[in-house]
Amino acid sequence: MTSNLDRGDRSRGDQARAAAYLRDFLPGIVGYLVVLVVVLRFGNLDGTSGWRYLWAVLPVVPMLWVLRAVSRHLRRVDDYQQRLLLRGLGVGFAVAMFSAVTVGFLGIAGMDMRLSGWIIYGAGMLGWLVAAAFAAKR
Amino acid sequence: MNAVKNCLKVLRESRGWTQGTLADQLDVSRQTVNAVETGRYDPSLPLAFRLARLFERPIEAIFDPDS
Repeated sequence: MTSNLDRGDRSRGDQARAAAYLRDFLPGIVGYLVVLVVVLRFGNLDGTSGWRYLWAVLPVVPMLWVLRAVSRHLRRVDDYQQRLLLRGLGVGFAVAMFSAVTVGFLGIAGMDMRLSGWIIYGAGMLGWLVAAAFAAKR
Repeated sequence: MNAVKNCLKVLRESRGWTQGTLADQLDVSRQTVNAVETGRYDPSLPLAFRLARLFERPIEAIFDPDS
């Protein structure tokens, strides 16, 4: 039987950890969007200058901040939460690897795979999100 | 692997605590308290000791691997 004491409210500690994660995460995402807009506006990615390769990878730099946020969040949470997070990351990694092999074979067969990186990235992220949502419902 | 049975929910409710209240006292998430209570997660040794200290009982009075 579920009593009033079993309600699923987040504890104060949960809220504090979520807020800390958001504080760590947001600068990376905002930075990414700002750099992305600047690159698309001024990067001249369709040009012929060698500098366009440097411009093209600039949006990756703020993503390092996101990696830092996830890493700090992993250290902040307890053992059980770490297990759930790492399981989700593992599922995302497996989906990304499966997608990479699939895309690789389709490329060998002659399919146009210019967006292969984005396909693999999207599949991996989707795998991670689905696994995380499944774990959160338990 | 079978989870270790425990009487954590009974102990918590006897003190009128929500899962969130207990989670804050143990410095873990509410989801973790719920997972321990429902037997989905066997706590680490440090967490088991924190529970024992909080409820002022030996670990084996809270967790019963034989039941």
